[in-house]
Amino acid sequence: MRWRRVLVALMLVALAAAAGAGLARSAGDRGRPDPVRAVAAELRCPACQGESVADSRSPIAVAMRQVVADQLAQGRDRDEIRRWFVQRYGADVLTDPPDRGVRLLLWGVPALALLAGAYAAVRTLRPRAGRARPAAPRTPGARATRRAWRVASVGVVGLVASVAVVTYRLDPPARPAPADPVAVALQLAHDLETQDRYDAAAQMYQEALRERPDDAVRLRLAFALLRSGDSDGAQRTAREVLGREPNSPDGLLVLGLAQRTSQPVEAERSLRRFLAVAPAHPAAAEIRRLLSPDPAPNGR
Amino acid sequence: MLGDLGTASLAAGLASATLTALLWLRVALFDAPARIARLGTAATLAAAAVACALLEAALLRHDFSVRFVAENGGRHVPLYYTLTSLWSALDGSLLLWLLVLGGYAALLARRAYPARLHAYAMVVVSVVMLFFFALSSFAANPFRPVSPVPTDGPGPNPLLQQHPAMGVHPPLLYAGYLGLVVPFAFALAAPLAGRDGAGWVRLARPWALAAWAALTGGIGLGAWWSYAVLGWGGYWAWDPVENASLLPWLTATAFLHTTLVRGRVAWHSALACASFLLVLLGTFLTRSGAVASVHAFTDSPLGPMLLGFVLLAVAVSTVLTGRRDPEPARAGRPRALSRPTLVLVNGVLLVAIAAVVLIGTILPLLSAPLNGTRASVGPGYYQRTAVPLAVVVLLVMGVAPALRVRDRSAALRRLAVPAGAGLGTVALVGLLSRPGPAALTAFGAAAFVLTGLAGDALHLRTGPRRRPGRLAGLVAHAGLALVAVGVAGSSAYGRDDERTLRVGETLRVGDVSVRLVGVDRTGGSGSMAVRARLALTTSGRAGPTITPALRYHPARDTAVTVPAIGTGPLRDTYVTLIAVGEDSGSATVRLAVNPLVGLLWAGGALTAAGGLLAAARSARRPRGRADRLPPTAAGTGAGRSASRADRPAPKAVGSGAST
Repeated sequence: MRWRRVLVALMLVALAAAAGAGLARSAGDRGRPDPVRAVAAELRCPACQGESVADSRSPIAVAMRQVVADQLAQGRDRDEIRRWFVQRYGADVLTDPPDRGVRLLLWGVPALALLAGAYAAVRTLRPRAGRARPAAPRTPGARATRRAWRVASVGVVGLVASVAVVTYRLDPPARPAPADPVAVALQLAHDLETQDRYDAAAQMYQEALRERPDDAVRLRLAFALLRSGDSDGAQRTAREVLGREPNSPDGLLVLGLAQRTSQPVEAERSLRRFLAVAPAHPAAAEIRRLLSPDPAPNGR
Repeated sequence: MLGDLGTASLAAGLASATLTALLWLRVALFDAPARIARLGTAATLAAAAVACALLEAALLRHDFSVRFVAENGGRHVPLYYTLTSLWSALDGSLLLWLLVLGGYAALLARRAYPARLHAYAMVVVSVVMLFFFALSSFAANPFRPVSPVPTDGPGPNPLLQQHPAMGVHPPLLYAGYLGLVVPFAFALAAPLAGRDGAGWVRLARPWALAAWAALTGGIGLGAWWSYAVLGWGGYWAWDPVENASLLPWLTATAFLHTTLVRGRVAWHSALACASFLLVLLGTFLTRSGAVASVHAFTDSPLGPMLLGFVLLAVAVSTVLTGRRDPEPARAGRPRALSRPTLVLVNGVLLVAIAAVVLIGTILPLLSAPLNGTRASVGPGYYQRTAVPLAVVVLLVMGVAPALRVRDRSAALRRLAVPAGAGLGTVALVGLLSRPGPAALTAFGAAAFVLTGLAGDALHLRTGPRRRPGRLAGLVAHAGLALVAVGVAGSSAYGRDDERTLRVGETLRVGDVSVRLVGVDRTGGSGSMAVRARLALTTSGRAGPTITPALRYHPARDTAVTVPAIGTGPLRDTYVTLIAVGEDSGSATVRLAVNPLVGLLWAGGALTAAGGLLAAARSARRPRGRADRLPPTAAGTGAGRSASRADRPAPKAVGSGAST
């Protein structure tokens, strides 16, 4: 009998060792095949609810994945990219922000629950002796019973009344603004522009426009379209703005620049109007140079 | 017309619920006969049923003068989803809530329990009921008229028109949530009822078991719905709505286990109260727009009122159950490694998991006023906290049944084989693949539990004493172990890829590949759809053609992905259509291979079945000689006062006095 027990123990020890080896092997990096996905999985999609950039199909997430891919291609590592995103969009862009401030509650509350539960369990397992009293049968007097009845009935009716009163008093609460997807889209588009990715930037502006039809955004879109080489699109967008506000300097500027390839005459008219409307515009000097009768040979 | 009737039925229900609460209070305080109070409960149920029926009728008749129908009905919606659209938005689902609650109240009212305890418990249930009736009539009345009357409505949220589970999942979930009102009511009634209250735990147990089984089924169906409809390939996203259903499940599980062991009255009442309070809190979180979620309902003014009611309920239950006499000392010191100890340990761990889930769910709410920003809590947090705790729970679950045997060394010997199986599984799986430590330990723990259960099952069949009662627990535990394997396997070995395919091109994941055959566009009355026809090939063998789709619902301006799921015994192939090229010549497709997902559904069903089995058994079990009633007393008020005088107070299972 003895040797059998020893054998069983030995076998268990051997199995435990093998299991330990398996665990150790498994604990190493699982080597995700797709580094973009690995980084994107750590970023929260600002336009969705509870989805990571890796999983989401919203255009913002697509653009953010593109940014990640670009940066990886430039040789940045995971932490650098994470830091880059945190700098731009705040710590909330991470699916797992560092546990600081309020987030310490995430660990404090469960720890407290565990401790309180353990304390209660120990108390239950070892009740202190000698304090037990037989539960005294309660026989409340008739007056106390009547008082309880009155109080309780008032309470019950009061509950109904309070619901009614609160309903008529209460305006629907203003919904706390969620992370503003438009702002993120605009920021992202701007970033894309600084990286000369005007195509993607234009897409982002279009996305933002769908949420917030705003002429300022439309003008940014027109510029991005112009720079990405889509002069038709730029013209169309600029005309949309000019339809509402015929003297918009930026609208005239984009329109004129976009017309230059196809309709030089109209382009000149638009640009002259631009100069008339906004002589002090930062781009005015450049345009004057363009329109001067003897353009420099390398003029854009 | 229907609208006016509906508003009237809600008003009648409110009046009747208020009256019923007062009538049961009279029974409790003045020993008044219970018959009228029972009638009041029945009338309240009838009012809820009439309100539901009227709203269904309005939906079916497309009566768009009723606000709820104007917002959630539609002529293009198929009959089945018209029926289920009753609970596809807040106001209507509140009616279903009332109906289920009223059903529980009526069932509870018909039972014959110790009179004072019964009456106080009915007061509690009636007050809960009247609160929700008040909400429904004042703040969320679905019957309010609309003018001008629209000619058609948008139909329910398209996501809720995709899957037949929509007809079963919400009612089942509500049956689970609201069943927990009964243990809660008993726990609050017990301290008020004096001697009558002593045996409440044994009376509440069948109710808790039935509710737990329904809740388990509801959570499982919800996960299935999420898997089959949302199209992201997963089944659990730690979304606030999902968390809200998990929270009461955790505490109810702890309640069911601590009630297996004698004594521990404080634990019983705390867990019973916590379970229903978490139901109320979950209702507040998900029905008030307080937290953003995939399937939370929209804004409404209910939030503050629900919060107020939750706080009131917390205060009342703390006052009522907090003050109690200390438990009497037991002879001898408890052994550290015994079944009662482990049951308690598991209770503590389940409460800790509940705390994790609770704080993770409400932190975004808390951080807004504290910090100015809404903190987000991602799945990573739960993976670091709840998952390890759950693995420990699984291990304890495997150890505890073996300790039934009094002899310590015999118990340890019974654990040797399961321990070997668990360690062997970890070694084998860990050396053959790299699933990550969490999944690996979960595999090991599940193997440990399942082997132990198999031994137990053999013991049950061949052992000297046949104890059919254990079968229920065995089935439920086996189900949970299977769920653990499914979760660990699908999260560790799932693979996916996404690409834009031209017609004829192939996307490959592992040995599964799909080739794009074509893209079809169809236009329907209420929706337009694009389907991709894909030829599936599994390990070289040609499979069927599958057609994932994108459905566009113009009425709500939303597009819904309809994944094509090929279910196999060991793994699912899950194909989603993400986008289609303008010329219909290309499609962006996501192909995922999800192993062992089937175990999740099987395990969930098994767990719920175990709960039902236990509920059926514990409801049938004679309640002991002391509190068995004369047959005439059941269901009638006549025998009531006599029975109170004649009968000795029931002996408690739960109270320290009987141990």
